Amino acid sequence: MVFKRKALLRRVRALAPILFLGVLLLYGLWPWLPLPGRPPQPQTVVFYGFSILGEVMNKGIFPAFQKEWAARTGQRVEFISSFSGSGTVRNQLIMGVPAHLALLSLELDAQQLAQARVIPPESWRKLPHQGVVNRTPFVILVRQGNTRGVRDFADLTRPGVGLVHPDPLTSGGANWAIVAEYGAGTRQNGGRPEAGRQLLAGIWANVVAQAGSARAGRTQFENGFGDALITYEQELLYDLGRGKLKGEIIYPHSTIQSEHTLVVVGRNVGPRDRQVVEAFRDFLWSEQAQKIFVEYGYRSVDEGLNATNPHFGKISDLFSIADFGGWTKAKKEIVDGIWKKQVLAKLKR
Amino acid sequence: MNPPVSVTTRRLHSPVFPVSMLVLVLLPLLLLPLAAVFIFAFRGGAVAFLAALKAPDAQFALRFSIVMAFATAAVNAVIGTFAAYVLSKYSFRGKRPLNIVVNLPVAIPTVVVGTSLLLLWGPIGLLGRLLEPLGLQPMFTPAGVLLAHLFVTFPYMLGAVKPLLDELETTYEEAAYTIGASRWQTFWHVILPALRGGIFSGTLLTFAHSLGEFGATVMVSGNLRLRTQTAPLYIFAQFEAGNIAGANAVAAVLAVLSFVIFFFLLRYAVRPTRAS
Repeated sequence: MVFKRKALLRRVRALAPILFLGVLLLYGLWPWLPLPGRPPQPQTVVFYGFSILGEVMNKGIFPAFQKEWAARTGQRVEFISSFSGSGTVRNQLIMGVPAHLALLSLELDAQQLAQARVIPPESWRKLPHQGVVNRTPFVILVRQGNTRGVRDFADLTRPGVGLVHPDPLTSGGANWAIVAEYGAGTRQNGGRPEAGRQLLAGIWANVVAQAGSARAGRTQFENGFGDALITYEQELLYDLGRGKLKGEIIYPHSTIQSEHTLVVVGRNVGPRDRQVVEAFRDFLWSEQAQKIFVEYGYRSVDEGLNATNPHFGKISDLFSIADFGGWTKAKKEIVDGIWKKQVLAKLKR
Repeated sequence: MNPPVSVTTRRLHSPVFPVSMLVLVLLPLLLLPLAAVFIFAFRGGAVAFLAALKAPDAQFALRFSIVMAFATAAVNAVIGTFAAYVLSKYSFRGKRPLNIVVNLPVAIPTVVVGTSLLLLWGPIGLLGRLLEPLGLQPMFTPAGVLLAHLFVTFPYMLGAVKPLLDELETTYEEAAYTIGASRWQTFWHVILPALRGGIFSGTLLTFAHSLGEFGATVMVSGNLRLRTQTAPLYIFAQFEAGNIAGANAVAAVLAVLSFVIFFFLLRYAVRPTRAS
């Protein structure tokens, strides 16, 4: 009896890894096992977006469209999504990820996609509002109490103020922020480019951490890096509305309003999904979707809806990329010409 | 924690001082970081931990990683054992360079592996460009992830099996041949049983590495939520997005899985095999 039990125990021990691996495999394969009673494969929309879009799309827009589509056609639609820095999304699209639609932080990324022949040139301009789905101005986030006394971009140039800034190589937000900083400098000094360059240089001398995307920068700031962060207003309003914002929003006197461009990657859309992809594209400009964007802190392309969010801050001198001749010109002259070649070179970064 | 100086002077070879020094050194290097994962994971209580794990994309990432690890282990168990057999039992010109090539993945940074796979199979890659018109595209699909994992884990099987084959007495094989066994019969009935322990530990090592692979996967997968996002990529993406609880829950599960696998490895595979 004793011997038998020992033998049994030995058997169990020998079988333990096999049992464990078997359970693990079953768990892994479970959703793909062809069990009876499982619903058929749904239609899919593959959506890529820049970093801060995660919440509004996953919690707001996707469920709203799924409901609407089910009501209209009785079919289930599944969203597959990925969110990272706008430049990262652009590079992934060039490398061939199977995205149907991508919402980019700046039109420049769309232009570069056209250059790489991922999408036809200017194709997004045929969409409503020239492809712009929503907007948001650039603001400064400081730590609770604002002990550094930051009131405007110029205050960020003071010695001892540490700044978290996303990296313009992969972050669309960083490109917007650079034009915001340069633009604020010139516009508050009678349009002198030299004043813009000086403000940019002063701010960048204080950058203590660079992040791959606006969202990654926010995470760095929350993990304790720096005294201030330059980012999208929306990124902060969403948490402000839920009472979860750690820090204070500072509205600069002059700042830029970003415009986020949608591109449809036609070559990735198969005949099976075309109808649903196009319906979703149009849905983004519907009043329902625009209201959701406003609720999550984006400023709608439909100005009339913007009164519904009480948290939108007032900005005295709000400018746009068109004031600097559009992204092709601004990238060449401001981001590459001034920021990279003059400011960074001088800081020896 | 006070180093007992008096003991060291009295008995030169007392283990207390060196051992406590080692533990002191290892504490911040190995032990505390691991503890932090679990402390953080359970900070919000078990309910929050389970809720974070139940998120559909977390579930997908875990399952996808597990399936990938099984597939990688299965394929490499076969190819790796075959490679070990050929490299051990045959002598031919170019054996040395081939030996180096099959072990190379140990030395190559995984990001480089990912890049090279993209430049071969990707839409702009050498072979990928030819495949694209056919509608075939391995990159940014599970097939791409599998290719990356096969590449990165290839040497494990070889390392576990080849030493056993090298040491295996040829007399058993010769005996099998003399009673009329074919090459295949000899392999199946004589050699393979002797390799069991090696194959088991090689497969487990492959499995464990595949489960945690990051560098190559992040390049070739496209990091698509619910399609190609593995558990390590999920952890990174959630951490970067500020969802530290979500990242940590999955990290804790991965850590536990690798502990269990490591335990099996120690408990079952290191025991002497029948051949020795």
